[in-house]
Amino acid sequence: MKPTGIMFFPAFDWAISPTHPEREERLLYTRDQIFEEGIMDLPQIKEYQPGLASFKDIARVHFCVPDVKAQITEAHLVSSGCTLVMADAFMQGEIKNGFAIIRPPGHHSMSVSHGNRGFCNINNEAIMIEYLRQKYGIKKVAIVDTDVHHGDGTQEIYYHDPDVLFISFHQDGRTLYPGSGFMDELGGPLAYGTTINLPLAPNTTDTGILYALDNLILPLLDEFKPEIIINSAGQDNHYSDPLASMRFSAQGYAKLNARLAPDIAVLEGGYSVETALPYVNMGIIMAMAGIDFSNLREPDYRPEKMKESPNNLEYIKKMVTQQLNAFRQRHEVIAKNRKTKERFYTTNKQIFYDTDYINEQQKVQLRLCPDCAGFRLIDSSAYHHDGTHYRVYCISIPHNACSNCQAEGRSYYGDMTGNKLYDFVYLQDRISDEYRSMDNRKGTEKVL
Amino acid sequence: MLIGIDVGGTYTDGVIFDQGEVITTAKVPTDEKNIKASVLQILDELLAQQDKDKITRIVLSTTVVTNLLATGRGERTAIVLIPGYGLPAHSYNISKDSFFLDGSIDFRGREIDPLDKSQLQAVGEEINKAGIKRVAIVGKFSHRNNNLERQAADYLQKRYPELEVFLGYEIAGKLNFPRRAATTYYTALTSKEWNSFVDEINEALAARQITSEVHILKADGGTLPINLSRNMPCETVFSGPAASTMGALALSRDKSNAVVIDIGGTTTDIALIIEGVPLYASKGARINERYTHVNAFAVRSIALGGDSSISISAGQPEVEPIRKGAAACFGGSNPTVTDAFNCQFNLNIGDSTLSAVALDRLSSAAGLKREELCSKVVAIVIKRLRNLIENMFKEWENEPAYKVWEVVNKRKFRLDKIIGIGAASRAIIPELARDMQVEAYFHRYSDVANALGAAVARPTLTVNLHVDTQTRQYQLDPGGVSGHLDKVHNFQLKDAKQLARNYLERIGAERGMSSYVKESSFFLEEQFNMIRGWNSIGKLFDVGIQITPGFVEEFKGVKE
Repeated sequence: MKPTGIMFFPAFDWAISPTHPEREERLLYTRDQIFEEGIMDLPQIKEYQPGLASFKDIARVHFCVPDVKAQITEAHLVSSGCTLVMADAFMQGEIKNGFAIIRPPGHHSMSVSHGNRGFCNINNEAIMIEYLRQKYGIKKVAIVDTDVHHGDGTQEIYYHDPDVLFISFHQDGRTLYPGSGFMDELGGPLAYGTTINLPLAPNTTDTGILYALDNLILPLLDEFKPEIIINSAGQDNHYSDPLASMRFSAQGYAKLNARLAPDIAVLEGGYSVETALPYVNMGIIMAMAGIDFSNLREPDYRPEKMKESPNNLEYIKKMVTQQLNAFRQRHEVIAKNRKTKERFYTTNKQIFYDTDYINEQQKVQLRLCPDCAGFRLIDSSAYHHDGTHYRVYCISIPHNACSNCQAEGRSYYGDMTGNKLYDFVYLQDRISDEYRSMDNRKGTEKVL
Repeated sequence: MLIGIDVGGTYTDGVIFDQGEVITTAKVPTDEKNIKASVLQILDELLAQQDKDKITRIVLSTTVVTNLLATGRGERTAIVLIPGYGLPAHSYNISKDSFFLDGSIDFRGREIDPLDKSQLQAVGEEINKAGIKRVAIVGKFSHRNNNLERQAADYLQKRYPELEVFLGYEIAGKLNFPRRAATTYYTALTSKEWNSFVDEINEALAARQITSEVHILKADGGTLPINLSRNMPCETVFSGPAASTMGALALSRDKSNAVVIDIGGTTTDIALIIEGVPLYASKGARINERYTHVNAFAVRSIALGGDSSISISAGQPEVEPIRKGAAACFGGSNPTVTDAFNCQFNLNIGDSTLSAVALDRLSSAAGLKREELCSKVVAIVIKRLRNLIENMFKEWENEPAYKVWEVVNKRKFRLDKIIGIGAASRAIIPELARDMQVEAYFHRYSDVANALGAAVARPTLTVNLHVDTQTRQYQLDPGGVSGHLDKVHNFQLKDAKQLARNYLERIGAERGMSSYVKESSFFLEEQFNMIRGWNSIGKLFDVGIQITPGFVEEFKGVKE
């Protein structure tokens, strides 16, 4: 039997600020717990050394403004590099599954990155997925976001990609950051139904979450048939998390991972550093490695206090039915959307970066292609916290674009070069694995 | 004059070292059943020509404990575990006499659940009924709070005064409960026999009126006064490879990156030296397939040596993992690895014509030329050794890292030289070094490097400190000493370092190694602010200070 790969990278020398939830101490007690348990010494476990992601790995996903270097620290390169090490180990058959216990996190980072939002600058899961696609030719991917916050960054990156099934359950956006992830966010016109959100009421317990797992998430995965399943594994659904209000337990997390059986899990949020993280991380490792976790629990866990309310369970059941239907209608809806005469599907939005206090204005145009899922044109502007204003033009050609879309997308890059309206023009051509950025102010170009 | 004695699996070696020279050497076959006799035989041979009053220090590297653990001949020992929550209890079945107690401590040293007295009583009765006289008691996180271990020990000792009890927090105070459990159990298992060995050695030396210091060599390449080793027998495991490695360092004495290759009759031991410092096994010594908290050099062994027999299978030469006798050049009947190197490189080892005759007999039967046979055997041997060495580099390079700094400054091993030790190394290592394009290093004392290493090694000591300023508690390893901080206001890393250094000085004085304290250095300096809400509620420190392996002050090298 192959071992479970563990990448433990606590970044003991990195913090957003000394008292921030994302600080050096975050995985300290997890370190103490997993090392004291000696779980890394077991034959079922193989520990890996961190690696570094390259700027190109990041550019495959993000339009970093003005450039990759400006949006990251070395810690980000290590954290996302760790997911790539896990991906390689998994694809090369060294491990049966892998868990990257890493920080900084990434699931709130969107395609365009002007700064840090929700403690994230770059999206670790998306960087890993595009790496997997580029290096190993993987096409269909499922991401299950089990963080208490809506995985809005990952959702945005794959909103128009019908080959990525993104499922997020989280505390209802009306009660928690980032305030999104509602039932009707189901994917773009040509990728309808492969974005599935389940906004749960505060105080939902193990029973409610595991009900949604068994009756929504597992059936969706079964029908979608992804080549790889990724758990975007936040740990802040835990009853002791200081930033959220759910009532999930370490046992719940372990059961979830045992049944979900992700190929790769990547740590996201979770800020109850003493009461939750050591036990939840142990639970996920044990579940993924097939080790009996019945003896695992938090010191203050009182199961009798964690009963699900019948009303809430009814509420979850209704949402589950509705989302199953949405997913199952996806082919018809997409076929109907394709019949439109419009060349582009256009949306305008405002994106708020809470950590860096940045307001970004975006106009997104999706090419409504009859043959593929289209390419994206993003017109984005924001004041950075140093006062500099950037307006940038981004062209994103996905891995599954048709040759017409690739050619058309690339022609926009040429057209916008020299256009003084935009400080930078970026081309993200995932088919040719080529990433260009043109500085219109200086007339210089960088190619990755 | 310094005496070093290394008890190996086949031979026991001894040297007397004085003023930069090895003045006497001795070698006798090891009597596995009576190691004391082998030690004394060597000692008597060494002292036959010498004035015993000039002996200032004797260092023994022995296999007493290694053999006991390998054969499982130690006295029946129970282990009582207090694992709390986490992995299932069956993960920790170290002994067939394993018992479990409820009760738990967390990572901050907080007691979560107390012991269950009736359960403790029942375990005590079972151990007593089985007639077991030695018990190891080990709890998860007991190094952060030893109350549960001590309560269990107090109860059992009061109730069964004959029972000898060994406590995890005293024996192994670092993170990792299974390693603590294994180390404590093996300590309990070998304690009695080790103590009798120490008694016998003391008596024998007294009978010979030898009054010099007597030390044992530990797996970490450092020495320890033999009378202080009584409660830490496991420290003596794998001291053989430690002796060879220290010997290689003593002979080469530089700060390069090197591999030490000790090629014996049928096995080869390989150790790494990084910038002059031997590499430790990152997970501790592995005893009977279990990791322990015993600090040991990272040594890899392979069943390949100068006497490894050569055969031909399906037309292809093979190097077998066994010995069928001496090399043909020394009168054996079967061609060996040494014979192949002897012919291939005209080394004139023993009687070269005998090597040629034996090889010809084998090669002609298979329709091969002798040169073909030799070059294929050489290629196999070089490839196996090279692979093993390169894997060791890779493992070292791929050790997990937990800080951004460590990942960005990724380490890379660049080999400078190969240091050859052991009888067969002179035949094989020059070609290996040529193949790897590095220098091959030999010394005229390479063959007694193990005993020499023991003779000139200095004491080592590693102190680990954990401080929690919120609970005001601190714990020190070795010894499992804990204490209370009176002042935590403004307690800084420098204060933690001072606390660790003071303890190192205290233990150093107890062990008679105060003169080496000035050479200690910090290898771990971690501090974490504990923030709850947005407020700081205290700090956690982990500090490590050590006196690394090295040589006694009077050792200034051995002339080439």
